Amino acid sequence: MTRYIIRRSLQSLVLVWISTLIGFSIYQMAPGGPLQFLDDDPRRTQADVERLERVYGIDRTVAVQYVAWAFGEDWLPQTDFWRSGRCLNDAGSCAKGVVRLDFGRSFSFKGTPVIKLIAERIPATFTLAFTSLLISVGIGFPLGIIAALNRGRWPDNVIRVSTVLLNTVPEWWIGLLLLIILGGYLGLVPLGGMCTIGDCTWQSRMHHLLLPATVSAIGGWIGFSRILRFEMLEVLNMDYVRTARAKGLSQRTVLWRHVLRNAMMPFVTGLSGIFLMILSGSVLFEMVFSWPGMGRLAINAINARDYPVMMALFVISSFLGILGVLMVDILYSVVDPRVRYDRTVA
Amino acid sequence: MSSRADAGDLQTKQQTYAGAVFTKIYRDKITVFALLLLAFVIGISVGAPWIGDNVLGFSPTKTNLRMRSKPPTWANEAWPIFQEFTRTCNSDAGCDWSKWGAIFSASRTGLRGCFGSGLGDCHWMGTDDAGRDVLTRAVYGGRISLRIGLWVATISMTLGVAMGLVSGYYATTWIDDIINAIIMTLGSIPLLFLLIILSRIFQPGPEGLALLIGIFGWMGLSRLVRGQIFSIREREYIIASQAIGAPPLRILARHVLPNVSSIIIVSAIFGVAGAIIAEAGLSYLGVGIGPPLPSWGNMMQGSLGNFQNAPWLVITPGLFIFMTTLAIYLIGDGLRDALDPWIRQ
Repeated sequence: MTRYIIRRSLQSLVLVWISTLIGFSIYQMAPGGPLQFLDDDPRRTQADVERLERVYGIDRTVAVQYVAWAFGEDWLPQTDFWRSGRCLNDAGSCAKGVVRLDFGRSFSFKGTPVIKLIAERIPATFTLAFTSLLISVGIGFPLGIIAALNRGRWPDNVIRVSTVLLNTVPEWWIGLLLLIILGGYLGLVPLGGMCTIGDCTWQSRMHHLLLPATVSAIGGWIGFSRILRFEMLEVLNMDYVRTARAKGLSQRTVLWRHVLRNAMMPFVTGLSGIFLMILSGSVLFEMVFSWPGMGRLAINAINARDYPVMMALFVISSFLGILGVLMVDILYSVVDPRVRYDRTVA
Repeated sequence: MSSRADAGDLQTKQQTYAGAVFTKIYRDKITVFALLLLAFVIGISVGAPWIGDNVLGFSPTKTNLRMRSKPPTWANEAWPIFQEFTRTCNSDAGCDWSKWGAIFSASRTGLRGCFGSGLGDCHWMGTDDAGRDVLTRAVYGGRISLRIGLWVATISMTLGVAMGLVSGYYATTWIDDIINAIIMTLGSIPLLFLLIILSRIFQPGPEGLALLIGIFGWMGLSRLVRGQIFSIREREYIIASQAIGAPPLRILARHVLPNVSSIIIVSAIFGVAGAIIAEAGLSYLGVGIGPPLPSWGNMMQGSLGNFQNAPWLVITPGLFIFMTTLAIYLIGDGLRDALDPWIRQ
């Protein structure tokens, strides 16, 4: 099993490396080059553009730019070919590279280090994402059990119909609608933000968190309840469940000891997918609920053509996603004694 | 007599597969309803120019700066009372529910006036921030959203089937490993981030956006197809055709593909719904389809920051999305049962 964990970790490292390649290519794909915003200034001259390209090191070959961005340029030879102009003039302003958490400086936030911008917003995104995950398990788990135990009867039907209905509209739209009605018209929940400015108490935080977390958990609880219902129905038909019933165990014991334990495994696998979904969806929910997290930063950066921030957000969110999937896989292998660690078929 | 009835029974059972599918759908009331609903949505989207000219009387792109963010015409009187009501809710006194009587009676009068009005006199769903008729734009929006949905389904279905067939057939070889690695990579990065960045950089039109969404949406189908192939590739008929020397491509096309076709069809149908929702999200964030072209997503983008004062901008496109995706989901559900030869009616 240690071997399995090591192999999965190495795989994840490769994935992170691939994500830095994708992230870096954003910089190269930028229409008109990453410094295109200079065109907005009518007084700029060709010399200005060339000077800035030298300062930012965009005149270097793509491979060198990647190495400097990913691994830093302070260890590279001191020539025009290897280093950006900034780094040649002042060794203190050399890029330290993504591996040392230096994502450069933002274009639009007056040269603030990108990592600082992101570090300020990660707690907000995490608060929302983890609360949603908790809520989606908290709601999805009982719903799945109720649906499976009452298959074909009204609780199951009600759950299935509402699941379909919730699935047919974008979840952020439901959020927007609830925000208008509950927040705007009835004044029951705040209209946005993490807490009342000047009164950032914990009650205020909880109050602000309630609607965003519940709404962004919708997809998760639907997913969890579906997985659990399906798995429980499978397990309920197993011989060992019939045996357990036949030897006179109570319904509760059968359910907890035999059914749920076995139905839990796919539930654990579902965790990583739903974690990713919530992380991905944070962009939309943070826009709807004016939540000051990474998602809103992403939209601002995109609208301002702030490429360093975009690249950093992509790499960091990919890293979080990859880490989440890795952790769930490891958890799975610890929990499920049946997982085989060699290459599995099917 | 009885033997004749038996013969009759036997004859009805000698149905073709397509015939059986059709009968099953025909008997499934919910699916029939969903098909009608989808036909209605497709109908109004295709006929949008005619509806715009002859039923609603508005152009989807012509702005009217004197009519910016106006409530529905029939609610002209009711809307201020409603706003009054919301103000009482936000005050310390609590909601003044007695205002609802006035709201209802004012809307009733307004609705009567709207039904009697001439062409282009009534904004049924209000106007947006540039004075364009919201209902007309929503009707036109279906043209974009459905087009994107169909393209995405086509692209992701083609990719998913191709990848799934190949990786299933060549399972546990290096080809399968490569495809699995791609799926794993795409499966562990938050794709919405990438989609937003890419659609901002390329600023694609409807087809380009569909291509972007489709390229990142084939993994689920590919996995499904691969799993199915796994279970059928050791069957006797596959081994038999391998034994008589059939090339892999022929085996894939003639023996494997027909066995997984129902999964493909159903997942393509769900794909259309997923794509419509994805497009709405991207356009809402302002990186999908840009105005003045109306799509259900970018209509809602106009509501950013103004949603309290103009909720019709949010409600109308959302209801159209709801109607369309509900129809698609129900059809997909019905087809899944109908296409399964093991389920008898």
